[in-house]
Amino acid sequence: MTRNLYQPMNAEIVETIEESPTIKSFVIVPDAQFKFDTGQFVELTLPGEGEAPFTPSSSPAVVEKMEITIMKAGRVTGLLHECGRGQRVGLRGPYGNGYPVDEFAGKHVYVVGGGVGLAPIRSLFLTLVDRIGDFKSVVCRFGARTPEDFIYKKALFGDWQKLQGVEMKLTVDKANGDWDGHVGVVTTILNRKDVDIANAVAIVCGPPIMMKFVTVSLLDFGFNPASIYLSMEKNMSCGFGKCGHCMLGKYYVCKDGPVFTHEQISKYPNIWE
Amino acid sequence: MEMAFISRLKPLLDAVAKTMDVYVPAKVGEHYTCRKYDPSGITEPELNEIRMCTPVKEFLFPLRELAAVFPEPVSPKQVKPFAVFGLKACDLRSMEILDKVFMEKDFEDAFYIARRRMMLAISSDCSPPGESCFCNILAGKPYPEGGFDLNISHVIDGFLIEPGSAKGKDFLFAHAGMFGEVPDALLAERAKLREAAQSQLKQITRGFLLDAPVGQIVEGGYNSDVFDEQARTCVECQACTRICPTCHCFYLYDGKQQDYFTKMKMWDSCMRVGHAQVAGGANPRKMLGDRLRHRLMHKFTYFLERYGIDMCVGCGRCIDAETGDVDIRAIVKRLNDELLAKGQQAVKAAT
Repeated sequence: MTRNLYQPMNAEIVETIEESPTIKSFVIVPDAQFKFDTGQFVELTLPGEGEAPFTPSSSPAVVEKMEITIMKAGRVTGLLHECGRGQRVGLRGPYGNGYPVDEFAGKHVYVVGGGVGLAPIRSLFLTLVDRIGDFKSVVCRFGARTPEDFIYKKALFGDWQKLQGVEMKLTVDKANGDWDGHVGVVTTILNRKDVDIANAVAIVCGPPIMMKFVTVSLLDFGFNPASIYLSMEKNMSCGFGKCGHCMLGKYYVCKDGPVFTHEQISKYPNIWE
Repeated sequence: MEMAFISRLKPLLDAVAKTMDVYVPAKVGEHYTCRKYDPSGITEPELNEIRMCTPVKEFLFPLRELAAVFPEPVSPKQVKPFAVFGLKACDLRSMEILDKVFMEKDFEDAFYIARRRMMLAISSDCSPPGESCFCNILAGKPYPEGGFDLNISHVIDGFLIEPGSAKGKDFLFAHAGMFGEVPDALLAERAKLREAAQSQLKQITRGFLLDAPVGQIVEGGYNSDVFDEQARTCVECQACTRICPTCHCFYLYDGKQQDYFTKMKMWDSCMRVGHAQVAGGANPRKMLGDRLRHRLMHKFTYFLERYGIDMCVGCGRCIDAETGDVDIRAIVKRLNDELLAKGQQAVKAAT
């Protein structure tokens, strides 16, 4: 019989990490090696309860375990947040097309992320850092609602800032505590001089409203729509372009995406909804 | 054996039923539904004039099925051979469409394929076509030209049986004693009957003829008001998608048994308000008009672009089933007329 597309691989949660009041990361060890490309997604099953799509936040170079960062947004993610170490789960995938990192070689990589959108970006970032010499520069602009809402705080406020070849700016919508950084939505820290736009690609991942306005700014700066890579969040269910829930115009986000260039999808309405 | 004659259908069905379950049309009110054939019955089986209500997808992609068991996977139940009798040309085309989806290279749906391989498709010519039939608008014909194992054409005093596959030929060969020769006169009669059915169909669909390829018409009508207008009468019963032989949206859900977990697969409908909604609440098709547009776009432009054929066979089941005055023929015709008017305006503006 042909391989069963719907069969999950068994896996186990070995560690949970509180990232923010509403976001947790789960370190998951699959029963067998699980390879993926950065930006691809998996369907994570909480047995008996349901399944939801997530882009792993760990480096694809690590195949024996993966990290998935999950925001409490609905029923399944709410239940996942109650899970601890030892919880058995299921994994299907990886699905779709991730970031075409090879195509970024020789260019400036302008990475704009917000909120839980930093999860796929972390996986990409770790991939970029592994081969930092391939790129002209890696310029990151990340935002969160408040300083507490930033995920991966330790790396973000520490090691990542010091990496050679990486330039990073952070902002929060609303400052509190001892935050002495920039305050304002992420578009307020974007500048057309951040990178040489003619030789740059932009990667955008975050809440739809943020992606919408960041894309507007990037287009205004003169970015080519074919050089703006967007991680689209739709209702991906089967993972292989059959069940129909995630259709965005002619595309199945699960199979043709979840990473699309703005050029590919701009003609369809409601892409940010 | 290329073509055979048989005077009664019962011996043919009895022969098929010796080795497999056979599903046949059964008239309920004005329509045909489907039931299992009982060879011990004494009545002669009926040949349906037009497609049954039951879409053929029910046999290949059932309403609900077990898709996975875990943590210990179990081998799926072996599918036994089965035959469906009374399929029509539109049903065969719908199978071609579903094949594109469920047999797509590298993403083959093992459950669909297992059933597809075990199915013996016995089709027949339409005569006369139904009031909601419009396959001719979409380049279809009221008789099958391929995709069947056996096709039956009703002629005076009997039936012509045409094989369309190795399986069909093998069957005719193995039961050669049951069949008679086919004189040229019967072939001529079949051709005449087919021509008559085509003329009748033309008459039925005369108000829905299109002036351009349907994909172009529907794509051109993206911003038409027709979708929002139709949304005023549509009652979101989803019958159109459930009964459609080509609609194939499905929903995966998880279940818990005493000592194992399940993943189930169940038909879904793009007309359902939450169909495209994500966990955070965002929904790109929350308006009914957007969902109606998406359904039409998927059928006539997106699917065509992806697989090279459109995703509607003109069977008219959605027209018979709908409760809210939404007629797919009328929508496409309206878009056709709007496109035509736009073209005329453009010509006028240029001259």
